[in-house]
Amino acid sequence: MNKTETFGAGDASRSFVDKDNVIYLRERSMAMLKKDLILRNPLRILGNQEKEPIKEGEFGAVLAKAGVGKTAFLVQLALSNLLKEKNVLHVSLTQPVRKVCLWYEEVFHNIANEYNLKNTSELWDTILPHRFIMTFNVDDFSVAKLEERLNDLTEQGIFFPQLVIIDGLPINDESREPLAELKILAREMGFPIWFAITVGPEDGLEPAIVPASIESLSNLFEILIGLKAIKGKINVMVLKGDRRDDAEDVFLDPSTLLIKNRE
Amino acid sequence: MKRDPQKVRNIGISAHIDAGKTTLTERILYYTDRIHAIHDVKGKDGVGATMDFMELEKERGITITSAATYCEWNDHEINIIDTPGHVDFTIEVERALRVLDGGVLVLCSVGGVQSQSITVDRQMARYKVPCIAFVNKCDRSGANPFRVVEQLRDKLHHNAVAMQIPIGLENDFQGVVDLVTMKAVYFDGPQGEKLRIEDIPSELIEEAEKRREELIDAASMFSEELMEAALEGEIPEQLLIDAIRIGTLKRELTPVFMGSAYKNKGVQPLLDAVTWYLPHPGEVENIALDLDNDEKEVVLSPDPEKPLVSLAFKLEEGRYGQLTYIRVYQGTLRKGDFIVNSRTGKKVKVGRVVRMHANQMEDIEEIPAGYIGALFGIDCASGDTFTAPGIRYSMTSMHVPDPVISLAIVPEDNKSQQNMSKALSRFAKEDPTFRIRVDHETGDTIISGMGELHLEVYIERMKREYNAIVHTGAPQVAYRETITQKADFNYTHKKQTGGAGQYGRVAGYMEPCEGEFEFVNKIVGGAIPTEFISSVEKGFKSALEKGQLLGFPVTGIRVVINDGQAHSVDSSDTAFQAAARGAFKEGFKKAKPAILEPIMKVAVETPSEFQGAVMGTLNQRRGMILGAQDEGDACVIEAEVPLSEMFGYSTDLRSITQGKAQFTMEFSCYRQVPKAIAEELIKKAQEKKKKAA
Repeated sequence: MNKTETFGAGDASRSFVDKDNVIYLRERSMAMLKKDLILRNPLRILGNQEKEPIKEGEFGAVLAKAGVGKTAFLVQLALSNLLKEKNVLHVSLTQPVRKVCLWYEEVFHNIANEYNLKNTSELWDTILPHRFIMTFNVDDFSVAKLEERLNDLTEQGIFFPQLVIIDGLPINDESREPLAELKILAREMGFPIWFAITVGPEDGLEPAIVPASIESLSNLFEILIGLKAIKGKINVMVLKGDRRDDAEDVFLDPSTLLIKNRE
Repeated sequence: MKRDPQKVRNIGISAHIDAGKTTLTERILYYTDRIHAIHDVKGKDGVGATMDFMELEKERGITITSAATYCEWNDHEINIIDTPGHVDFTIEVERALRVLDGGVLVLCSVGGVQSQSITVDRQMARYKVPCIAFVNKCDRSGANPFRVVEQLRDKLHHNAVAMQIPIGLENDFQGVVDLVTMKAVYFDGPQGEKLRIEDIPSELIEEAEKRREELIDAASMFSEELMEAALEGEIPEQLLIDAIRIGTLKRELTPVFMGSAYKNKGVQPLLDAVTWYLPHPGEVENIALDLDNDEKEVVLSPDPEKPLVSLAFKLEEGRYGQLTYIRVYQGTLRKGDFIVNSRTGKKVKVGRVVRMHANQMEDIEEIPAGYIGALFGIDCASGDTFTAPGIRYSMTSMHVPDPVISLAIVPEDNKSQQNMSKALSRFAKEDPTFRIRVDHETGDTIISGMGELHLEVYIERMKREYNAIVHTGAPQVAYRETITQKADFNYTHKKQTGGAGQYGRVAGYMEPCEGEFEFVNKIVGGAIPTEFISSVEKGFKSALEKGQLLGFPVTGIRVVINDGQAHSVDSSDTAFQAAARGAFKEGFKKAKPAILEPIMKVAVETPSEFQGAVMGTLNQRRGMILGAQDEGDACVIEAEVPLSEMFGYSTDLRSITQGKAQFTMEFSCYRQVPKAIAEELIKKAQEKKKKAA
């Protein structure tokens, strides 16, 4: 089938129609499912549909205390990109591959339940090739090592990341150097990076305020998102970066850890 | 045979391939006086370990059949099942776990928790088997037992606690410090048979105290008494042991022991631990299904006086006929008794009753509840339940995966032909994952199993044990066919020219579904008379056996019939079956059929320097790499690869990694074959058909 264009990149309505105007039903239902998910995706709050919140070589980060939902948030961000057929490299320094896979399965399952989606196994199979998980022991991790592994992948044409997620990198006073190296890597290889940053109890997260503990590094980040548990709900707030008018209307559902619009 | 069920332990030893299970078992048998010399798995003396009694196992250095054996330690009777470590033989591990009360998870102190350990752990969890861990090979360079304890926590989510700390490591490994008694234990004598107990070396006191503290913290979660004693600062040994035992039996605590079986160190304390921490048969709840009472669950009691319930968990063809390994759950199995096979209802008389010690045996009079033994001359399949006459119980069925790979075999001559059929019928009885069928078109005998190695081992066994020489075809992947969109059918089967006529029309639609096959009857007004509906279903079912693309079974299809027509005279069962087959053919073509192939979950463990090359090989084989786990010098690459691409992978992997990498694989799921490859397959199938014609 000579598809006129891939879904997600532009006019989705024609991705399942070939040059002879034959409509492929299976591809059409899959495309509709994806479109449906993207339209209903509350992550749009972080940027409108055409514009991604951060571009190549830029950094974004999710800040929260331990156990509030940073990984779940990043996995949703990754899934929304995977649905657009973007390649996502997930680097975890704290969890083994199997556990990271479980996170994806769990969040995907929750999304499917939330929107009452059926026949999701096929959709899952289509997004899986766009994901790659790499895990390192946090003590052994170095930017040089990551670069070496990335070169292994790209030189053999195995995987070309378009978005990178780094979960578990300790961010402290000594982080400037590795972050600067990562910035160069991200520019050279042409992808944005999202980080998960654990903040201490002394950092009270407030909208539009960068917590003191990472203030010295904040110029490296284009966008900072904070997650804060208040009265049984987890509020999502923009600490730094472009803020849409309805930004405060998002929260993380503590039971499913899915990002939702406030009713 | 002694009669104190509280002093019986039925244990399994399971681990990753090459972690040293068989060596450990060998040492256990030596220290318990069951054998009088130690042979190694890949021994230079050419004798091989006692548990690896099949020639093939000795040659390849792997354990294939789990032999049951018996030994005594500290007045306790221990039945050990030595289980294979390779995933291809997982059914053996699963079966062993079904009849065990406790397990020893053997881990390599260098390799740590490897992929097969994860599989084995999952299986232990499925059958709720409490376990203790033994970190073996502490004498190897790179040994780090505490890293393994960490991995048990992180990767397997065990609440693992060290029960010992090593005295020296690698070349300098001398013994262990027991954290319960706070004494150093050394293993003297040429075979480490003399235990020397001394005070803890001064340089280890601090570390030992720290680790003991951790142990007490973990154990006190299971005993308030211990918690109080800990607060007072005085802890009686027995109190600590009891608390650890409670945690272990609940599967909420995993005590970790250390040693080197090969260097004869740490085995005796492990045996003590088996008797202290693992359950006796009375502490494990076993459930049977009452076949006379709608398969209601019945809890069995390990009372030797109650009616017999026992499970035949393994069959072997020996020199003296079929040997059936059996575990008695309730009652007593006596020589001369009559017992009933609850699957077939057949009553048989118990002849010889024996207790097994690898490939030697001793005759006994009876097997009481909780014990494992073997019977001679009982005709049954593995997994059958035997009960006393009068009750019809069945032990819960075992989880049996479907085979994923097939091989055509042709015997060399007439003699081989006869021997081959003998061998095949025995293998199929012994191993439910090994199946045999005859291809009606080619007349070939097809064997199917769980992996390349699985089938190779059977071919070898045919040759060695039965003198049956067979030639094999190329391994054949068990493809499946399915449809990907909804399509209508409306087919009339009409044969009304001379003789008895045939007439039937079947109309409706077919669509993809999640299960194997669904048949929905939406006919109103009797367009097809009720008596022919089952004929229609039968017709569709028979059509599913062979798809139109490659001739493999069709799955994931829902057939809905909503119209049809019958003839008052010419319609019949045969006519409607034929009409359904025609309707299927018609609908299938329109429903965009596709081929599904088995996808294997592959985990490759390799030194980091080969990571890129290994990923390259997996990628070339149409593998989808899920992730790469960096663990310092080594890394694990997890991927999903089509089975059809995995043939000969071990050779490839060896050559690109200088033999330093290893891999395991297990079936994951069925997935659609890419279009280009599907076309190729269809072309080949058509050529083959033409040739056959």
